[in-house]
Amino acid sequence: MHESVVTAAFERRVSPGTALSEDADRILHACRDMALRFQQGGKLIVFGNGGSATDAQHVAVEFVHPVIVGKQALPAVSLTNDVALVTGIARTDGLDDIFAAQLRLLAAPDDIAIGISADGVCANVSRGLDTARELGLLTVALTGESERDTPAVDHLLVARSADPLIVKEVHVTIYHLLWELVHVFIEQPDPAAAR
Amino acid sequence: MSEPGGLETLYPFLYAGLAEPDETQLRRSTEDKIAEIGTLRRSLAHLHGERLVACAQAMAAAIDGGARLFTFGNGGSSTDAQDIAQTFANPLAGTRPVAAISLAQDVAVLTALSNDVGYDLVFARQLAALGRRGDIAVGLSTSGGSANVLNALAEARRRGMLTVGLVGYDGGTMARDDLADHLFVVPSTSVHRIQEAQITLYHVLWELTALR
Repeated sequence: MHESVVTAAFERRVSPGTALSEDADRILHACRDMALRFQQGGKLIVFGNGGSATDAQHVAVEFVHPVIVGKQALPAVSLTNDVALVTGIARTDGLDDIFAAQLRLLAAPDDIAIGISADGVCANVSRGLDTARELGLLTVALTGESERDTPAVDHLLVARSADPLIVKEVHVTIYHLLWELVHVFIEQPDPAAAR
Repeated sequence: MSEPGGLETLYPFLYAGLAEPDETQLRRSTEDKIAEIGTLRRSLAHLHGERLVACAQAMAAAIDGGARLFTFGNGGSSTDAQDIAQTFANPLAGTRPVAAISLAQDVAVLTALSNDVGYDLVFARQLAALGRRGDIAVGLSTSGGSANVLNALAEARRRGMLTVGLVGYDGGTMARDDLADHLFVVPSTSVHRIQEAQITLYHVLWELTALR
């Protein structure tokens, strides 16, 4: 194995990483809307499969337990943690309903739903986002370029790669920015004014 | 793990008693952070290229010899540990799955050990029960100071396992005490950028291990 393989692996990541800058406005607008929901008493509900399930949990812990001391803890839950519940729903209603079923129980209209999908739009993420939308939640989707169908959401944030590993890496930067900027907007007297 | 400085450092214009933030300022700071991770990620190819190849070769040899992979970390790093395990155990099409277990997933074990023994030993005790000579232990800590991660790496080495560490800042205690056979330090002081870079490092490590 030659070191050029390593160099090539890192080079493949440059363009998708850089392209995220083009979405700075999309990220800002998503954060402004999310901050408003939090200020109205809403909570954040996050879901995804496989590697994106770990991201859902990372997003939840990011908001609940801020990395910066003194920042407000914000309510967030991941729908990927309770294996008994997830496998139970999968058995009775099917895998495609594992997130939608939990949303129907937990979600309130002021809430925010973030669906994460690194490798094609997963049916259960898609159904979760549809259900969230029907229930009045603010909907945010983090996807990659291999998506066949674009989910109908309020804020669509796309990592410019079809490689699910690289998509995930860009997603992590996106949700770190979401967390940071939500706090920036929340600390303003009127998030809607910051335009 | 706390980040020094806080939002005041990250967004000085918000705390200068000046005008309310406008989109131009926020857009610029967002673009700066995206550029920062891009630069950091690119620097890793040079900084850790040889180390990644050596580590992938050692891991591949261990896997060929029947090694299982154990991963561990706290908070966001626990989700990365889980992601490493699922990346190896349920890999992209055409690559061989590897037996991998993330040690922060079993809530019964985690709460039992925390309650009865102490949180500092939650991963070390699991390795003592599950780990065998020749297995692989991967510990993640942005600070390099998480006691349970350090204790687990020490336990893994005592048991003759291959040890891999992913860490930020200057490597912290994990680096000073030389606790990992293959140590990857991400030279940054931002927890967020460290995590983003660590994910790229273990993805590349998986790619190299799968490629062998």
